[in-house]
Amino acid sequence: MSVAQNLIRSARFRAEREADWRRLEAIVTKAERRGLKSLAFDEAQAMATLYRQAMASLSMAREISLDRALLAYLEALCARAYLAVYAPQERLGGMLGRLLVVGIPGAARRLFPLILISYAIMILGGVAGWMLFQNDPGWYDALMPQGLASGRGVDSSREDLLAVIYSGQDAQSGKLAAFTSLLFSHNTRIAILIFSLGVLACVPGTVLTFLNGLMLGVFVALHADRGLLYDISAWLTIHGVTEISAIVVACAGGLHLGQAVLFPGEVRRRDALRRNARDAVKLAILSAMMLVVAAGLEGFGRQLIQEPGVRIRIGVTIGLAWIAWLALSGRRRT
Amino acid sequence: MSRTSLRAPTRAGTGDQRMVAEILPPEGVPIRFEVAGLGARTVAQIADILITFAALVVVMAVLFLSDLISVEAVIGIGALLFFAIRVPYYVLTETLMNGQTWGKRLTGLRVISADGRSLSAHAVTVRNLLKEMEIFVPGTMLLAASSLDRLTVILLLVWIVILLAVPLANGHRQRLGDILAGTYVVMLPTPVLLPDLAEQPVADSAYRFLPHHLDHYGRYELQTLEALLQVDARSLGRISADRHQTNLRKVAETISRRIGYRTHIAEGDAETFLLAFYRTQRAYLENRKLFGDAREDKFHRDTDGTPDSSAGNGAGEGTDRRG
Repeated sequence: MSVAQNLIRSARFRAEREADWRRLEAIVTKAERRGLKSLAFDEAQAMATLYRQAMASLSMAREISLDRALLAYLEALCARAYLAVYAPQERLGGMLGRLLVVGIPGAARRLFPLILISYAIMILGGVAGWMLFQNDPGWYDALMPQGLASGRGVDSSREDLLAVIYSGQDAQSGKLAAFTSLLFSHNTRIAILIFSLGVLACVPGTVLTFLNGLMLGVFVALHADRGLLYDISAWLTIHGVTEISAIVVACAGGLHLGQAVLFPGEVRRRDALRRNARDAVKLAILSAMMLVVAAGLEGFGRQLIQEPGVRIRIGVTIGLAWIAWLALSGRRRT
Repeated sequence: MSRTSLRAPTRAGTGDQRMVAEILPPEGVPIRFEVAGLGARTVAQIADILITFAALVVVMAVLFLSDLISVEAVIGIGALLFFAIRVPYYVLTETLMNGQTWGKRLTGLRVISADGRSLSAHAVTVRNLLKEMEIFVPGTMLLAASSLDRLTVILLLVWIVILLAVPLANGHRQRLGDILAGTYVVMLPTPVLLPDLAEQPVADSAYRFLPHHLDHYGRYELQTLEALLQVDARSLGRISADRHQTNLRKVAETISRRIGYRTHIAEGDAETFLLAFYRTQRAYLENRKLFGDAREDKFHRDTDGTPDSSAGNGAGEGTDRRG
């Protein structure tokens, strides 16, 4: 190194190392532009070494140097290099696979009690809705939002209801596609709300789930009143087993978040939330997947299959498939 | 003497008031990032929305033109995609592009993990799932506000105010999703290495400084002087170049008056004088710092306030010559 002799200490320090920093800068820029994979073997090796050297230089420069240009450069260089060196290296496929095989089923099993509680809330809502309708059919209008009822009201005749239940694809497939997406987006929003409102000490999420149950209850009660209990059960079962479970799962995830707020244990609430978010988020993803499947079933399956017996069988089979996946996948052998 | 005698007009005073996120990588040397402001983040968010929307339009147009399915089905698929494209877009881009969506790349932002490790897929998922409830649900409801009843609108506004208050209230501008995921959104720093002023040849025969000349200033004044001297006069326009020369002249005069420097500074020689002073002063201060006597500024803010005038320890005239 041809470093002039009459330099002050910090200038000498810089002159001796500047070439290495420049090299690191070039490698990091390349890694940022074209990804870590574009680095040759010796470049990747050099990056790790040069990064540690630059960090040591930064630590030293903070102690000995008052040169602002140098300090600012090293701070920025080390920050960039840190981000390049500690970039997430996992492949997308591996990540998804692990999530599906171990992550989601594990979370569902760990939070099984909460899922049961959410089901209980939903069923309670359903029973309450049923009983309210038996008491006074006017509750139907009070509880059912107009958009979702799609013209099915207290005044609808048996034939009107039957027509909706067994509307084939030839009848009005365009309208149905739009209706499907509306229902899908409505339920997605409900699931998101139920999940995220769980943070607020469980209360709003629970209330929303209960309300959803109420709606379901009056809806079924209306059809039962017209003697269509079997048909509406089939109509609901084919997608409802999945869709209602999706809302229930979202509710369970929200409850888990709410648990952290209500009972943080010996850590701060913020840390408890972060801890519980690990499993809660997996339930949210599961809920989203179920909603997508339910939308598919609702949009296509229900229009293609008009036989109530087949509808029930398909719905139950898919429900059992969910249970099998969540109960069995990724169990550790002992 | 005025308190701002050494404050250069061009770039001084920056970098002190900004919010800084300090993280500790496994190497044990803390790294500082500048926390991104809400403005830059909003711009990035809008860019992302435009990008996803454009992608959606393209897909729908292709489906529509291909004439395979009916118009209603295209609309249905579009509505489904509209929901399916959002969270997955953010999660995938931030995972695959190391904490940047296209919008963040455009604005030079980056998501980093607060614990100094690499950004995990879990953290990215959490912060973007909550984005749905923090931005998209209130956003779409706000667009449809005219059709909502008054109570809902009030609740919606309260909701939005709370969500805005969270990042403004905490020191790292973390929104709820960032807090849950343990992430910061920071500005990506650009490494620019300016020349070392102490390396430039200085005609040190003309100006020499004695220890009592060097006891007046601290780190802050030295680095402010550096910022002034780092201005590249050739890149300036004629008017600002003139102003720069005047500033150099003023600063040189102020310094020489304050430190009691007797030698006359020739007209147009202010920069040479300041460079010589900078170099000697830096060598002196760094030397003192090495001996545990760091001086923050001329008011001795960080030291115990002992007067420096008795500092005749021989680290004087020859500091710029030490081998």
